[in-house]
Amino acid sequence: MTDIQDRPDIEYGQAPPAVDFGSLTTAGGTAPPVAQDVTYERILDARSEPQNWLTYYGAYDGQRYSPLDEINTENVVRITPAWVFSFSPHGLHAGQSTYAFENCPIVVDGVMYVSGWDGWVWALDAKTGQLLWQYKHAIPFDVSLCCGNVNRGVAVAHGKVFVCTLNAHVLALDATTGECLWDVTSGDVRAGESLTVAPLVVKDRVVVGSSGGEFGVRGHLDAYDMETGERVWRCYTIPKPGEPGSETWPSDGEAWTRGGGNGWITGTFDPETNLLYWGTGNPAPDFDGEVRPGDNLYTDSVIAVDADTGEIRWHYQCTPHDLWDYDSNMECILFEQGGRKLLAHFDKNGYCFVLDRTNGERVRIFPFVDRITWGEISPEGQVTPRIYPDKEGEDVHFYPGPAGAKEWTHASYSPRTGLFYVPVQDTGATVARRRREFKESIPYWGAAVTVDIEEMAGSVSAFDPSTGEEVWRWRNDLPMCASVLTTAGDLVFAGTPSGRFVALDARSGELLWQFNCGSGHHSSPITYSVDGKQYIAVPVGWGAWVEGFLPGMMGGPHGQAMFVFSLPEGQDSSGGR
Amino acid sequence: MTSTASERSAALSEIGLDGQNQATIGRLLATGNIGHAEEGDDGRMRARIRIVPDQLIWDPSVLVLPHGGHLDIEFVNDDQNTHCALVPSNGDSKWMWLPNYSRGTMSVTLDGPGYYWFSSNIGNDEGRGLIGAIVVRGDVPESARLDRPQQPRP
Repeated sequence: MTDIQDRPDIEYGQAPPAVDFGSLTTAGGTAPPVAQDVTYERILDARSEPQNWLTYYGAYDGQRYSPLDEINTENVVRITPAWVFSFSPHGLHAGQSTYAFENCPIVVDGVMYVSGWDGWVWALDAKTGQLLWQYKHAIPFDVSLCCGNVNRGVAVAHGKVFVCTLNAHVLALDATTGECLWDVTSGDVRAGESLTVAPLVVKDRVVVGSSGGEFGVRGHLDAYDMETGERVWRCYTIPKPGEPGSETWPSDGEAWTRGGGNGWITGTFDPETNLLYWGTGNPAPDFDGEVRPGDNLYTDSVIAVDADTGEIRWHYQCTPHDLWDYDSNMECILFEQGGRKLLAHFDKNGYCFVLDRTNGERVRIFPFVDRITWGEISPEGQVTPRIYPDKEGEDVHFYPGPAGAKEWTHASYSPRTGLFYVPVQDTGATVARRRREFKESIPYWGAAVTVDIEEMAGSVSAFDPSTGEEVWRWRNDLPMCASVLTTAGDLVFAGTPSGRFVALDARSGELLWQFNCGSGHHSSPITYSVDGKQYIAVPVGWGAWVEGFLPGMMGGPHGQAMFVFSLPEGQDSSGGR
Repeated sequence: MTSTASERSAALSEIGLDGQNQATIGRLLATGNIGHAEEGDDGRMRARIRIVPDQLIWDPSVLVLPHGGHLDIEFVNDDQNTHCALVPSNGDSKWMWLPNYSRGTMSVTLDGPGYYWFSSNIGNDEGRGLIGAIVVRGDVPESARLDRPQQPRP
């Protein structure tokens, strides 16, 4: 390189040595070695140790239910903040206008592991909020992000913290120090791929799903060896010509090569069937179906994937030949009813699908939002499209909008009440087909899209899965865009876009408690206990695909804090120095 | 009206966007020089970046790497004020003081491809012009690419 020479008139001094920026914080640098003993067997039986939140959904079944009941309907009105962990970045980072704190924390024996947007991972003292260590992966400013700079969480096992990065790497960190132990490149950023998913540890593997459906990639799930980072299998969610499902794509042309179907939300797992239940994303281009005639498997589907081989054993497609951006990524909650092993999946398209999880057989389909105009799905599973972008440049308006009646944010299920609790978004959108040529790494929607900023509604709605009937509804004037949590205290916790964190009576939906966290909620709250004391933790930080799910709150404050609540007795807010 | 790329440099200068306290208060970002890191036999890349006196600009302000990997940067502060350097790196961002007339080296690790901003994150050095870019060229490993035919690019 050309170099300007030192100035002869200057006698240069030695600058102080460079340091890790995280060392200029209150971080102590190490965490207790609690993660060393987290094994597959412990995660299998996660609900037997309710003091911890060992895996993304709390347990493999995805119920987001905790047996903790110290905080209950009688005393929840008394809970107060125990501590707050707040964070703000320095310098410029990708998605400065669109980041969100979408995390779901993991807690192991008093240590909380948290991922932030833009490559951060933190270990916190779960009792005091003290920062123990910090990891920061350098994320390119120019990564392709359809929906904001986000990361939904980490996985913890065998002394390691597993995390994905926006530039499509999968990392294993030392859970005591945050040091990187292995780092594999999982996807191609030049193709528009990224990773936002919280990994899932199953047996001795770490399973992740790719992002990038809005850029015309070919979706896939990958399993990596937990110790070495070697890839064990890859499961493409778009078949190549000649593979099963390829008959649902044009036999000529390249539609399948850019078909989407990404698995960007963590799946659930049943050790008895040895199947992963993973939702897949929209086909690409999202709204221009004429270039991809056919059902477009395995987009918008629940796929059951053999955990050992990565083979798809069965599938159920919720929106064949999607023209509305109705990803089916959202969780598949495993539960039993009438002696059957079932799963429930609340889809963007406004319908809940109850399936037999041993074979994918349809058990029940019911709507869970008031306004569904895009089409209709009969109880027998017959899909009838009614309003969709068709003619070039011609606006059509439909409900739900592309963010769906429920986006990725998760429902919960209480085995005590037998009810599902669902964060509902009731928002429409106007879409006009606008064909465009495919070019790698450039957004590939095939439409002009504007989401309504008026006449919105939202709720937490409780459903009986045996009938599909709504049992109660807690109404909110804005759509509900965050995951809900259910506890044995018969409480449902949920965050609103305005920043309120609320506790509802799980049996009636009555509002029992609320706290204004100062920024909208778009994350997954959890509960845990330390020394027998129960805490409720919720990451707060509004952002991400706000133009998609609630553009009426595009101006809402970002925020970036972990709020932790408990009963006031014995609180210890001594974190920091 | 618009200017062509070849006219841009002259236009920036004519308007006074490539210096301090001319058209704008500070200097428009990314109007500085472009440099390339050198790769040693050991595979490490090396570069020197200076702060130009009274210009609040990194020189080069755009540093180009042929691929991801380890980079040693010697920062030299020729300015008569104290600044610092905050540079992204896998593991943690690196930070160092750069007192007046000082020099020091930091080592960072970056993935490719993509680009990263670095800056002096004190005062409003960033707004005045002390934001630079590290550009990493190349492709991801073959093992990370999609199994599909070659696709068109912009």
